Amino acid sequence: MKNFFIILAMKILNIILKIFHKNGGNLLGKIAFNWNPEILKYFKTNCPVIAVSATNGKTMTNNCIAYTLKNSGYKVVSNVEGNNMETGIISTLLKNCSLFGKIKADFLVFEVDESYIPIVFKDFKLDTLVILNFFRDQLDRNGEVESLILRINEFLKTYNGNLILNNDDPNVARLGQANPENLNVYYFSVDKYKYATENIKEAGEGKFCPFCKTKLEYEYYQYSHVGKFNCPNCNFGNNEIYKLATNIDLKNRCFEINDVTYNIKGNSIYLVYNYTAVISVCSLYNISTEIIRNSLSTFSLNNGRLEELEINGVKTIINLAKNPTGSNVSLRILNEDDDEKELLFVLNDNIADGFDVSWIWDINFDNLNNVSRIITSGTRAYDIAIRIKTSGFDSCKIEPYLDLTEAIQALYKTDIKKYVIANYTSLQPTRKQIKHFGGLEK
Amino acid sequence: MKEIKILYLYPDMLELYGDYGNIQVLKYRIESRGYSVIIDRYSIDDDAPDFNNYDIVFAGGGADNEQSILAEDLIKYKDNIKDAIKNGVFFLLICGSYQLFGKYYKDVDGNIIPGLDVFDYYTESNPDRKSRCIGNIVIEVELNNFKTTVIGFENHGGQTFNISRPFGNVLFGNGNKFNDTQEGYFQNNVIATYLHGPLLSKNPVLTDYIIKYCLDRKYNENIILENLNDEFENLCREQLLNRFLK
Ligand SMILES: [Zn+2]
Repeated sequence: MKNFFIILAMKILNIILKIFHKNGGNLLGKIAFNWNPEILKYFKTNCPVIAVSATNGKTMTNNCIAYTLKNSGYKVVSNVEGNNMETGIISTLLKNCSLFGKIKADFLVFEVDESYIPIVFKDFKLDTLVILNFFRDQLDRNGEVESLILRINEFLKTYNGNLILNNDDPNVARLGQANPENLNVYYFSVDKYKYATENIKEAGEGKFCPFCKTKLEYEYYQYSHVGKFNCPNCNFGNNEIYKLATNIDLKNRCFEINDVTYNIKGNSIYLVYNYTAVISVCSLYNISTEIIRNSLSTFSLNNGRLEELEINGVKTIINLAKNPTGSNVSLRILNEDDDEKELLFVLNDNIADGFDVSWIWDINFDNLNNVSRIITSGTRAYDIAIRIKTSGFDSCKIEPYLDLTEAIQALYKTDIKKYVIANYTSLQPTRKQIKHFGGLEK
Repeated sequence: MKEIKILYLYPDMLELYGDYGNIQVLKYRIESRGYSVIIDRYSIDDDAPDFNNYDIVFAGGGADNEQSILAEDLIKYKDNIKDAIKNGVFFLLICGSYQLFGKYYKDVDGNIIPGLDVFDYYTESNPDRKSRCIGNIVIEVELNNFKTTVIGFENHGGQTFNISRPFGNVLFGNGNKFNDTQEGYFQNNVIATYLHGPLLSKNPVLTDYIIKYCLDRKYNENIILENLNDEFENLCREQLLNRFLK
């Protein structure tokens, strides 16, 4: 009975929030959780539940899966706004359930914060879990990467649902052995792309085999520690691949899987991984290739994840980077583009960013390709300016501004192509101000 | 050309909080003055280094499980390290390596992990795993009779005791223990500290102290380092000192 009233109260609160045009984020979930920490058990659904987790790329992959399933005519409930902790998921369920906690949908698709997988799916039956990658992310908040992986591994020991894993990230691929009895493990992989390297170029994690501690051997690295690896001692990494992306052509923004060409919006190797995961999930649920192709060619997040804008005629590419790998991926795209360009890097150290900004020293700023000027901003504008200077970039071409408005004005003094990298709490203010500057938003 | 040789210990294991940045800052400030720098890396399974062949030995912090592995390895060089310190080789030890050079580290379960026993201090982990000294930190240090502030970031569960001479006095943050007045351990040619950031990135005076020390010792002179353009560092320090100390 108690749960019935919690849901009733939250439904009323949601209506009030809507009247005031407020989304509420994970507020509903927070209140409901405080009332009853076991509320998740109350929700009932008969449809498959799909979850996506990773350090980077959760939102994009999750939303693209939801988008593709919707395009197939299914009713999909998903936390597309990115509220990916337990309370965020409860919020999404509250908004979409009956007073008796029943959710009517064909699919539930959730992006889930890595550390919440064991918590959320303890009480909520999961049909498919997708894991893309593990990188360092705000260590002062989450603890270390290894302990996180071990907790997920523990959860997977008794999990028998579909498990879709990136075979090119050793920290992800290892999870396929958590439960040897699970026959529903699917690995995806991406073939070597043009800018793959023989040696690791950016800070990475997976150096040693998790099973026998032997140093892993890499045929090539795509980015960070993601690449074709193998343990010379126990053969870890040598899995049968369910979906392999080939003929990666970032210039023409396409790749192939099983001889079908997929066109995508965006030109990053990291997107190809996300979309190969999307294709893996969708083909498990027998979504037609044509619908997947159409969905991928039209899907974009437009919320600062490789968002492309024209600001007063100047091409501007904005990307979120809340950790070294996110930043390194952005710089890869910048370096793979031979045009002259200018960079704006916005770095905040608010609570949601993690107070510690020392991770910027794990970003590889060496040998930037045809970058004529760098503007820095955010509460740590000077820290990032020092970081870039120390990498050898001429300090006369670096302009730090604590004030974001000044930074954006300075950025658009020239009409050279712009790349913008912003961390977590700085992303939306930066987007907003850039759009405002370009007259795209009031 | 004058040259500084750096030995970078366990770069593949002690690299948790951008500590490699310290090496980059040293390299930048040495090379900007026309000196050359050689950076040798040592990790498990590599040939044994002679610590006396270097001007600076640097080691950072790592994950707990990795730290116990390399404690076993490092102990092989105990005598060589002690000798190098006595001879005046500069040691910069951050966080985990700071702890490792002490008498011991007592973990949450009460297990004693023996340290190198080079210095007299010892570290005990906080019984509450979740409670750590985390946050921005500002300390006041004295280098060659010159007082200056050092800005960094601390993140440690261990509480370090029995410090004969601290690196600095805490102006903001925790220090060696929760709410301590003292931070780190210092002697002429040793700085052992919990400060990440990386430590040297925002503290050019400290970096130059180390560089000058090494050049003076190696070339037996009293070098005056050429001034560099520290505009960003100065702006950064001004901004952060205002923010933390007001
Ligand atoms: Zn192995």
